[in-house]
Amino acid sequence: MSLLLWIMASPLAAFLLLSAFKPKKGGDLLSIAAMAAAFALSLKAAVPVLANGQILSGETLRWLSFPTGFGLPAFSLSLGLQLDRTGAVMLLIVTGLALCVEIFSAWYLHGDRFYTRFFSHFSFFCFAMLGIVLSDNLLMTFVFWELVGVGSYLLIGYWHDKSAVSDDAFYQEMKAKDATGILESKLSPSHAQLKAFVMNRVGDFGFLVGMGLFAWAALQGGIHGNILSWDNLSLAVNTGAFDRIAFAGLSGSALLTLAGIGVFLGAMGKSAQFPLHTWLPDAMQGPTTASSIIHAATMVAAGVFLTARIHPILTPDALLFVSWIGAITAFVAATIALVQWDYKAVLAYSTVSQLGYMMIGLGAGAATGGYSAGLSHLFTHALFKCLLFLGAASVIHGCENHQDMNRFGGLLRKMPVTAITSGLAVLAICGLPFFSAFWSKDAIVASAFLAAEGREGYGVLLAWGPWVLAVVTALLTCFYMTRQWTLTFLGKEREPHVTHHAHDPSFPAKAVLILLSLFTFQFLWTGSVNPFASGSWLDAALAPKGSVELLSETTLHHAHVQTMILATVLGLVGIGSALFLYRKGPVSFKVAPVWKFLANLWFLDRLWDLLWAETFGKRGGKVVAILDLGTDSRLSTLESAPALSPSLDGVVDATALATGKVGALLGRLQSGNALVYAGYTTLALGILALLLGF
Amino acid sequence: MNSLLLSGPESLLPYLLVSACLFAAGILACTTRRNAVGYLMGIELMLNAAALDFVAYGRFRGLEAAGHGQVFSLFVIVLAAAEAAVALALVYSVYRTFRDVDLDRTTTLGSKR
Repeated sequence: MSLLLWIMASPLAAFLLLSAFKPKKGGDLLSIAAMAAAFALSLKAAVPVLANGQILSGETLRWLSFPTGFGLPAFSLSLGLQLDRTGAVMLLIVTGLALCVEIFSAWYLHGDRFYTRFFSHFSFFCFAMLGIVLSDNLLMTFVFWELVGVGSYLLIGYWHDKSAVSDDAFYQEMKAKDATGILESKLSPSHAQLKAFVMNRVGDFGFLVGMGLFAWAALQGGIHGNILSWDNLSLAVNTGAFDRIAFAGLSGSALLTLAGIGVFLGAMGKSAQFPLHTWLPDAMQGPTTASSIIHAATMVAAGVFLTARIHPILTPDALLFVSWIGAITAFVAATIALVQWDYKAVLAYSTVSQLGYMMIGLGAGAATGGYSAGLSHLFTHALFKCLLFLGAASVIHGCENHQDMNRFGGLLRKMPVTAITSGLAVLAICGLPFFSAFWSKDAIVASAFLAAEGREGYGVLLAWGPWVLAVVTALLTCFYMTRQWTLTFLGKEREPHVTHHAHDPSFPAKAVLILLSLFTFQFLWTGSVNPFASGSWLDAALAPKGSVELLSETTLHHAHVQTMILATVLGLVGIGSALFLYRKGPVSFKVAPVWKFLANLWFLDRLWDLLWAETFGKRGGKVVAILDLGTDSRLSTLESAPALSPSLDGVVDATALATGKVGALLGRLQSGNALVYAGYTTLALGILALLLGF
Repeated sequence: MNSLLLSGPESLLPYLLVSACLFAAGILACTTRRNAVGYLMGIELMLNAAALDFVAYGRFRGLEAAGHGQVFSLFVIVLAAAEAAVALALVYSVYRTFRDVDLDRTTTLGSKR
């Protein structure tokens, strides 16, 4: 077994052992030990890859092999392991953060009903994510992509038997007085897990179509061997395979754009991009520590990671699409985050918003540095968002499951470690100098600027939109994150009965917070305290594949300096205004229509619910029910419903009914009465005699 | 040939008539007697009717020397004895299960419903 396989096998083994034996005790330790082993092995695998830049390969399992025939070359579909430099960083982050979150969870979930199950499902989730990170082809990515979906389903529905919050007395008492916008009757762990799963299916449809187009093009382009591997995909695109096929009246680069956008649709589902983002805030129904890993290193990171993987084969049009989706997502989510009352919901929308940033970066293309900026933001964000969520877990634990920020206040004195580490993460997400996102987020804004300059023939609005939205979102981000931190940790204790028990987590969990907070500083990423330094170890790791020529040094420098000044000023304005406004507690700004619009989440949740769940779901369900059952209430009233209604179910019922009736009729012949049988015999004898005699 | 056998001072007809009467009596017993023992008696009557036919035909078809008719009758008698032994055992068994030998009431495979 190769090193890479061991890395994957370790959490899988923990999952299998815990599922098979369901130990009462020690499940957490087993799982943590497995993850620690995976992290140690990841270090062993990743360090040489990062140092030398060579690609580490593992096993290849050939799944389906096709010989030459039908005018196609011999080709195969396989599952194979491979570790390149981008993957190596991702690998370290996934295993490292998973380890941290597990250690924290041991404190956070201690004494929970399903305690061991959390560690079991968590291990499975990380195993699935490792499959995406280590995959060497699109097909295997898709397989593990779906497994990540299953993992998230299990974790989000961890408290699967909890009722909807509309029936939850504690939630009703704890929610903010002006809470609005949430479909409370449809917010429960079991509903949230389904929502996450189904909304991801929407994107996965595009993924499948895109993957099919790539496979077809590669075959027509004469690619043989493992046709869906990253190298072969690039090869197929570069050799013009898409000129040889036509689909839906499209060919060549237009079709390539379609295929790229198709796969990107999958990424939009997983990475919660507008308009498929509504599942992610609902996923808060899972344990906070599960959210921590979903929002940081797994699941949502998978979409960005996939977009980076297929980046070399995205056309300029597809990249513009990626940029716009990212920009809209970043902006929409940031505006929603401005008015949230729930501590975790702010974080959820900030994740959606930051994922939008990553997409803006990736969409800006490799030449402008957008590719490496998007990826580096994925990595820095993973660390500080994990920290923010663990901080949220700590706050919620301390405040006895209260989540309304309006009721917190003054927690800085009660839980200094949580407050300061969360504060560092807030500064990081704001992108102030010396913090990690200053380096990554500003690079995205700079690359969006350069990309906009470079986009000719698209019109001013289309080309510059992403940059403008990115800048506005930078301001909003600083505002809402500072608002959250100020409301929670500064000021007076507004409702002492909520906060008077608050305390920092105990030792290992506290250590995790402190360890993660170190990564909010830029020098750990770039290896230099100078925020303007470039040429770090990560730059090499994130260099785009293939021979991409970056723009000239002066152009890049110009854009970066300009962005840094802009971002720092905007950041200080955002932070300053939020500190000033909220220093004494919640302020209500109910400029009615705007506030209502934002508090109702742009009405997107309601719209989707109306459109899909109510209209297509229920009405469609009715049509299906009529075709299937005759009436839609048939199942519940099977006894009284008409048996022979014209429907699929009616046909089945009629068959059963007819068979039963014939059986009952014939059954009467078999009375068991010997005299009757004697009668039949005599009758038969008489008939026989008549037939023979005449 | 048929007319020879069925007419004349010494003809087959009376034997066949007696046999038919016996058989009809047997069938009547089988279809009307509710008592299992009566039912068995009906069966015996039908068997005897058949045996009588064998002997009569043997005599009038000129096969008396070979004794075919008598041999068949003997077989029928032996068969009837064996049948009676088994059937009475069954009737006894039915009686033990149902405390009854009324065929109208012993209509299930197990004990009474």
